[in-house]
Amino acid sequence: MDYTKQIQDIAGRLFSENKIDVFIGYRNTGFDENQVPVLINQYKDVDQLLFTDKSVFNLANYLKYEHTRNKRVGLVVKGCDSRALNLMLTEKQVKRENLYVVGIACKGVVDETGEMAQNCIECVMPDAVIFDEMLGTPSGRREYQENADVRELDGKTLTERQEYFEEVFESCIRCNACRHSCPLCYCAKCCIDQETATLFQGANTTSSAFHALMTWSLHLAGRCVDCRNCEKACPSHLPLHLLHKQNEKVIYGNFQEHLAGMIEEDRGAFYKYSLSDPDDFIM
Amino acid sequence: MARVGVFVCFCGANIADFVDVPAVVEEAKKIKEVKYAIDYKYMCSDPGQGMIRDAIVAHRLTSIVVAACSPRMHEKTFRKALSDAGMNPYLLEVANIREHSSWVHQKDKKAATEKSSDLIRMAVAKSIANEQLHEISVPVTKRALVIGGGIAGIQAALDIADARIPVVLVEKSPSIGGKMAQLDETFPTLDCSQCILTPKMVDVASHPYIELLPYSEVLELDGYVGNYKVKIKRKASYVNFDTCTGCGACWQKCPVKVPNEFNMGIDKRKAIYSPFPQAVPNKPVIDAEHCTMLLKGKCGICAKVCEKGSIDYAMQDEIIEREIGAVVVATGYDLWDPKPYEEYGVGRYKDIITSLEFERMVSASGPTGGVPLRPSDGKIPKSVVFIKCVGSRDEAKGIEYCSKICCMYTAKHAILLHHKVHDSHAYIFYMDIRAAGKGYEEFVKRAQVETGATYLRGRVSKIYQKGEKLMVRGEDAQIGQVVEVEADLVVLATAVYPYKDNPELARLLGISYDKYGFLSEAHPKLRPVETAKAGIFLAGCTQAPKDIPETVAQASATAAKVCGLFSGDTILKDPMISKVNTDYCSGCQNCVTVCPYQAIVTEEIPLGHGSKEIRTVAKINEGVCQGCGSCVAICRSMAIDLAGFTDMQIINEIVSI
Repeated sequence: MDYTKQIQDIAGRLFSENKIDVFIGYRNTGFDENQVPVLINQYKDVDQLLFTDKSVFNLANYLKYEHTRNKRVGLVVKGCDSRALNLMLTEKQVKRENLYVVGIACKGVVDETGEMAQNCIECVMPDAVIFDEMLGTPSGRREYQENADVRELDGKTLTERQEYFEEVFESCIRCNACRHSCPLCYCAKCCIDQETATLFQGANTTSSAFHALMTWSLHLAGRCVDCRNCEKACPSHLPLHLLHKQNEKVIYGNFQEHLAGMIEEDRGAFYKYSLSDPDDFIM
Repeated sequence: MARVGVFVCFCGANIADFVDVPAVVEEAKKIKEVKYAIDYKYMCSDPGQGMIRDAIVAHRLTSIVVAACSPRMHEKTFRKALSDAGMNPYLLEVANIREHSSWVHQKDKKAATEKSSDLIRMAVAKSIANEQLHEISVPVTKRALVIGGGIAGIQAALDIADARIPVVLVEKSPSIGGKMAQLDETFPTLDCSQCILTPKMVDVASHPYIELLPYSEVLELDGYVGNYKVKIKRKASYVNFDTCTGCGACWQKCPVKVPNEFNMGIDKRKAIYSPFPQAVPNKPVIDAEHCTMLLKGKCGICAKVCEKGSIDYAMQDEIIEREIGAVVVATGYDLWDPKPYEEYGVGRYKDIITSLEFERMVSASGPTGGVPLRPSDGKIPKSVVFIKCVGSRDEAKGIEYCSKICCMYTAKHAILLHHKVHDSHAYIFYMDIRAAGKGYEEFVKRAQVETGATYLRGRVSKIYQKGEKLMVRGEDAQIGQVVEVEADLVVLATAVYPYKDNPELARLLGISYDKYGFLSEAHPKLRPVETAKAGIFLAGCTQAPKDIPETVAQASATAAKVCGLFSGDTILKDPMISKVNTDYCSGCQNCVTVCPYQAIVTEEIPLGHGSKEIRTVAKINEGVCQGCGSCVAICRSMAIDLAGFTDMQIINEIVSI
């Protein structure tokens, strides 16, 4: 999967026709084979752009910052990224008319070992669901499959699971990289940082990290698109997808097979009301 | 520094028998912020309230906790006591140690006492974070909207208009009158329904304070109590009501025949029609679904015969907008479709009819001239079987509730049958006779004695045809035997069912409805006329099955509510509503989608101080917000807080125990 040439052409065209102020894409780190996101704001820099199976990050994240607010932006989105973008549009964080979206019919990206990433193996929608221009041949929606790690975790007892998470979250340093890297964590002031949120305050203890991460994952429940930007950003290598995929599984099973961001103007499962919503857990 | 006063009530024996009240007081005194704690036999009594008033002054208290019954019961009482002592009434917290403790833990006094202390500790902690709140004053538009022109809507409109308050009465069909206009005589006095109804209909049409909008539907309702804006669609009637005299030449000449809804399809009406001779307004409308001129552009006879030139085939639907302050919903009911009763042969046997069809037949102005006739051969029936509870009280095939009016109207039908066909005999299959009402039991007795009707207690299991007759097989539980009755005609007392469009209307108005489709009152006992949405009231069968006297009483009650609401120029609203912290709001608008009252809109504010760039944030409409807290729960940024139930107050409560 290599769309480097096409993306350079598109970005070049958009700049020369004065259709965009910024183009968000990927470039080489300059010191290894990996790639980093890049914001380009002039024609002469478009040759930095590239797109291969190492283009792992979700670029929709960069729409939530001052650099791009109220500017005309071109960006590249894979299937998962486009679902996040869809939610950002629904939740009024970006204006569609300000965007030029280059959609990718994604064939999957690789993890640090060079193998296809787990979220790509389990991906339900590799093709961009929202785009102005599509690169590659769409392969269509795939069947939903449960996450392998979540299934393994489900086999454990509650106590074992609690012990597992307490041990894992021990290494959280509360740096908040997870939420900075998430396109859907755009709040003006995160609830975890607010003065009323006494449960999260105080020392960086396991219990405060536990509360913070649980709250964070619940705020993403029914919204997370499994792009794994948070895991890539986490310096402690926490298995954050376990939280999100567990939520996704429960919501998929209970809310009419809801998956986040698949349809335009579709808010997360918890933000809409349907007569057929399950109510068997209400006393 | 907070100085909290705690007042613990015995509630006679209600609390004191199961909670050690003096121990609870001692426990409360141990809380650091509590500067005064005392108990009393009845805190809600005047001396009890006096204790609160005196203590506020004597001990310079900053907030008050009353540990007593549910706040639904006496919160207002105690708030007033605070006001009387010069304290903001919203500095009160009620710890419910009756419903939440003494009543539910009667077998364990120790645990109930401990729980009561915990509840007080929570209330004290919450009260420390209480803020002074002030009631919100909202202006009122003194005009009422009445939806539905049956007897409920008519009565409500007349009562409100008589108080010199303008009323907009919207009726879906071409004439007001509703189901009552279809009835022949009414129980328990056998007044002629039309004779008592039509004068009221005429009063509506001529009342200077009533704007009658027939053949119209409510499309949208925006706004909040005292300040609603309603959009009404006036359907094209294709007849200019200003010039039409209602002479009837058009419908006499119209060649298109359509089943007559008013007569339950027993006879035909024309495509241009007025539903019944006493219709108000007495002007015809063209049924666009059947008029050949409108469908195919051929005919035009009505326009030719109309001397006034009132026919206008080009007429369009009209949208009417009105500003109103209150709404009375009186959409009435439908009859339940008895199709699921296959063993009765519903649909197969022509001589099985519904009670309303029977009602139209025995009506002097009805399609058969007041004589019941068998639909199959037009003969006068001599043996008529009435089956009650068709659909009602039948969880398997129908609905669980009792339709309330069928016992009475079936007794009436037996009497009417006897009056119209002297040598007839009525058999009535029933489950119970429910005749609770003034003169009702006497009326049923009259039916039994005067007409000699045979009341058979039991359900009908099967109806089958035998020659010209219908054989009705059922159980007579009183003799414990299966009986078979030879019938010429079978009348089914079909259940009262909610008006079919109620759910749609409820969504449009922002009110709730029950699992059947009846619109929900705010409280089944103490607020049976109000809905949960302020300024919207319910009259008649739209809320639950009712007979005419009850419907009229409830309609008048809605009028009293509307007049009360409009008695001042402004109305005061509870200040316990949401407010948005725009610094924290990220503008995702999830709150807008979850608000059940459409109370949240968006506003644009500068991005930063003095910035020219703008951002969009949520804004609460204070008049509409009911303080339900849905937006608070949905807001990830915790940018919305509910006055009186702030996050800080709730967290204080949680950490206090």
